[in-house]
Amino acid sequence: MTKVIISVLGKDRPGIVAAVSRVLFECDCNIENVSQTILQTEFAGIFIAAIPAGVTPEGLREGLAARLEAFKMYVQVKPLAANGSPAPPPAAEPFVITTIGPDAKGLVARITAVIAGYQVNVTNLLAVFKGGNEPGDNIMIYEVDVPTDIDQQAFRRDLQNQATALGLRLTIQHRNIFSAMNRI
Amino acid sequence: MLSYQEIISTLEMLKNEHLDVRTVTLGINLFDCASHDLGMLKTRIRDKIGRIAEALVPVCDQVGDKYGIPIVNKRIAVSPIAVVCAPLGPDGMLEIARTLDECARSMNVDFIGGFSALVEKGIAAGDRALIAAIPEALTETERVCASVNVASTKAGINMDAVLLMGRAIKTAAERTAERDGLACAKLCVFANIPQDVPFMAGAYLGIGEPDSVINVGVSGPGVVRKAVDRALAAHPDLDLGQLSDLIKRTACKVTRVGELIGREVAELLKIRFGVVDLSLAPTPNVGDSVGEIFQSLGLLAIGVPGTTAALALLNDAVKKGGAFASSHVGGLSGAFIPVSEDLNISDAVAAGHLSLEKLEAITSVCSVGLDMVALPGDTSAETLSAIIADEMAIGVINKKTTATRLIPVPGKKAGDRAYFGGLLGESVIMAVNNGAGPNLFIRHGGLIPAPIQSLTN
Repeated sequence: MTKVIISVLGKDRPGIVAAVSRVLFECDCNIENVSQTILQTEFAGIFIAAIPAGVTPEGLREGLAARLEAFKMYVQVKPLAANGSPAPPPAAEPFVITTIGPDAKGLVARITAVIAGYQVNVTNLLAVFKGGNEPGDNIMIYEVDVPTDIDQQAFRRDLQNQATALGLRLTIQHRNIFSAMNRI
Repeated sequence: MLSYQEIISTLEMLKNEHLDVRTVTLGINLFDCASHDLGMLKTRIRDKIGRIAEALVPVCDQVGDKYGIPIVNKRIAVSPIAVVCAPLGPDGMLEIARTLDECARSMNVDFIGGFSALVEKGIAAGDRALIAAIPEALTETERVCASVNVASTKAGINMDAVLLMGRAIKTAAERTAERDGLACAKLCVFANIPQDVPFMAGAYLGIGEPDSVINVGVSGPGVVRKAVDRALAAHPDLDLGQLSDLIKRTACKVTRVGELIGREVAELLKIRFGVVDLSLAPTPNVGDSVGEIFQSLGLLAIGVPGTTAALALLNDAVKKGGAFASSHVGGLSGAFIPVSEDLNISDAVAAGHLSLEKLEAITSVCSVGLDMVALPGDTSAETLSAIIADEMAIGVINKKTTATRLIPVPGKKAGDRAYFGGLLGESVIMAVNNGAGPNLFIRHGGLIPAPIQSLTN
């Protein structure tokens, strides 16, 4: 059984997921994972599906594109690389980095440069920039996995230095504190 | 995946509402240090505290950094010294107090508690020596805290001990007259003292406790106040049942923080985790006050009619939220109303809203008692004892902990200001009814018998 990854992008409106899943059902494909999000007015969805013999990624893409034509969506289908035996991820602890402060170009690029420099993986990112001075209106929230074998103090120091240079107030806290306070 | 609201509300509590872990207190049993030889005893105490407490402050700082939650105070509580050092006289007890002070300095903790005696039913030789040493010990040392349990629901009130403590407080105040009687700020007199309090000045390690244990005191009056303010701004017609529920949920969050931090500190130190003491403990900072909560609930100030009912609601909601959040809630767990340590409460005294009598009344529905109360310098030892006896009676009859931390400020009278500095704050001196006069009731001494409530078996 071959697996494919399908990405669908375009202006959000009712019926997009229904249209994609209908095509997959008709082609006898089995959906294994779906994730979708909406940023402002734009829809983005990622589907991982197992496709039967006789269905090709290109054929599937054409079917989807035809069904989604009225929606003016961008569709891409590509085979999922065989699992093999990927290297196990390094031991890491989940942290949450937040920044609050004035909007400017290059904030995400400069903060993520520090994060990437320590081989820290971003597992979730939410950024809102509305301008103005309301703290909640200009905020970046990075959920990251910090490898346990890096220099934690240096990582924190570099992040803080970068934030200060950008006029941002940055905090980095272990994820458990948020879970403990908000989840039963 | 965490939600945006969860992250923002947590950050707000930390950054703007003074949510912190008020204290991580390491309890250390000193019974195995006992010796009739003073030198040997001191060496063993130094060695044991040094061995167990060495990593306390660095580990607390490390965990505080990891979670972005400040652990404001790191402290040590030891077994009651009156028992550990029972063969010693007052001079020997004083030497031990000096040793404990040295230990606190070398471990870099701000207070060490346990210069304590348990005398609710009678005074043993060691207890008497320790009580005799208290005024000098608290004058000479900086970080040692003393507590004496003079009453319990099971034993009644030891009025002989109450009288001794009135005198000890008077003497301690006189010896630190130039600092407004500061020694008394490190001395608590208790009824029904818990064995696992992490908060000072009442912390000691009870006799039934493990060899070493981590107890955590969380705080958060600012968080509760802001939660009430926000809710009332959005829904001004909330009733008191709904407000109680809101406070309960807030207290639950605060307790979860304490438990998480405490367990991690305990694990890293390889020491057993004991309890979370969920107390609304104020500091003299604006926005970190229990008194402000009363105003948010609609009272003019703490002390006006309605205060006792509001405090009953607050204290109960805090306990319910804490009990749900942790299976190991202990210590005092309630709302503290220390007058000089809470800017808003000391302002209420200055404005004439809160009297000593009303303060005593509201201690019947909260922890802990007449805490950090500055009194006129001419208040007699007998009157101090009588105030203590009244407060003890509230605890004994209601099967709860009560305590006094009274400071008769030498040379000052009602309406003057007393200054203690730092977290101990400052306050207007409260008037005492018949303060300087004699009190024949107290002179009778003896034991006030245990109440009928004690016959529970």
